[in-house]
Amino acid sequence: MSHAVEIRDLHYRAGKTFEIRDLALNVPTGAMYGFLGPNGSGKTTTIRLMLGLLRPLKGTITVLGGEVPRESPRILARTGYVPEQPHLYTSLTVAEALAFHAAFYPTWDWKWAEELRGQFQLKHDQGLARLSKGEMGKLEMLLALAQRPELLVLDEPTDGLDPVVRRDVLTALLDYVSQQNATVFISSHLVHELERICDWVGVMDKGRLVTELPMHSFKSGIKRLRIADPPALPGDTPFVVLARESGNGALETWIVRGWQAPMSQYFEGVGASLREVIDLDLEEGFVELLRTFREPRN
Amino acid sequence: MFRMILSTQWKWSRLAVVLGAVAAFALPVLSVGQFGGTGPSRWEVQAMLGSIQAWGVLYPVLAIVLGVSVAALAWTYDHRGRHVYALSLPVPRWHYVLLRFGAGAVLLAGPVITLWAGTLVAIGAATIPAGLHAYPTTLALRFALATLLAYSLFFAAASGTMRTARYILGAIGLIVAVDVLFAIAGLKLHIFESVFLRLVVWPGPLDILTGRWMLIDV
Repeated sequence: MSHAVEIRDLHYRAGKTFEIRDLALNVPTGAMYGFLGPNGSGKTTTIRLMLGLLRPLKGTITVLGGEVPRESPRILARTGYVPEQPHLYTSLTVAEALAFHAAFYPTWDWKWAEELRGQFQLKHDQGLARLSKGEMGKLEMLLALAQRPELLVLDEPTDGLDPVVRRDVLTALLDYVSQQNATVFISSHLVHELERICDWVGVMDKGRLVTELPMHSFKSGIKRLRIADPPALPGDTPFVVLARESGNGALETWIVRGWQAPMSQYFEGVGASLREVIDLDLEEGFVELLRTFREPRN
Repeated sequence: MFRMILSTQWKWSRLAVVLGAVAAFALPVLSVGQFGGTGPSRWEVQAMLGSIQAWGVLYPVLAIVLGVSVAALAWTYDHRGRHVYALSLPVPRWHYVLLRFGAGAVLLAGPVITLWAGTLVAIGAATIPAGLHAYPTTLALRFALATLLAYSLFFAAASGTMRTARYILGAIGLIVAVDVLFAIAGLKLHIFESVFLRLVVWPGPLDILTGRWMLIDV
């Protein structure tokens, strides 16, 4: 499998309290990669490192086959970026912002930019300083898409947008991806949003990658099990026990990852009885994953 | 690419550039404005030179104000966005800086040209007594160099981070503090004055800003 983004052994420190340690990450080419993590977990910093906006202390970053930051300009010409905070020059009008941005991208598609502008109901003479948050979000997405990138890096692109604008932005994104087979790296703390559109997921917390796996594995493999007479020590389980919680009497609840139906035989082998297997949605799975990562227990 | 950088910078600094251009045109005209008669007396010649010398103080002031304004305005919006937009554009950092610098330098050509035009109008309107000469092109060139110098220095300073600015201010503060301590201790060491003189007296880089700025002289 080829990778649009490969990060190895990345180390970065900002101030005295925040650091990214030993980060390794792989984004398959053509994937919609959801980058999940709570606020302050290091998602934005990782993205900025990935694009060469920040310089790592150590480690290697390869994006679209080029090494960052050495080949950043060549990589950035093929990458659409929507930052967490609007970053455009607010003194410009929409038309001026489009013209300015287009001048830097050889693959800029004016026809499509105009189509998107109409679709997003942005007027040429609107000043950026007077755009609403939703309009600014749409303009940022327009600029990233109209340069026809091979890779889209979107840092919380729908954060703070109302549901209508959010739908417009995501529809434009999905249309583009279906046409171009581009790779999308999208960070968010809105778990449900990524659940619908992503096929890979990486979870970040406290500057470290907690897990990285296909979305279907993430969604289907995390379960809540109700177990009667559980063993004191789980021993060598065929699944990963993320958390154990005592219930009423001899009943216990386990949160597990990597679950498959035949694994229920494990409980017979240890003298326990599996009473119930409950599907967790992505958000519950995400919360449990983070809880276990922060307070490991078995 | 350069055209777009130039257009943004024009938008940000046009007020400073237009006011600077008007002032640059007006300065030489005002300095000789009242001396248009034929056969000026000795008293009138002295008055003319005095007026030109008095107004001449304003040329380096205008050059500094223009250079500083255009340099600061070149970076204002990038600072506001913490440089994220500039850094995410597909050009090397040095190239982007060069584009911004070049755009500012082009904009500064406007006031330089209007100053040159002003000097030509002024010497056309004034009666230059025998023994005196007009130096319109030399004055305009000197103004261009002084403006470019001020612009370059402040462009470099403004392109840095707040941390760099703090280091520069800290270094100046340290020199002043050491000077004050020396003065209190009764030592005749004036570091600030010495550094200042090295900068403004030839071959110091700021020498061009000092001395007489005369449109008409012997």
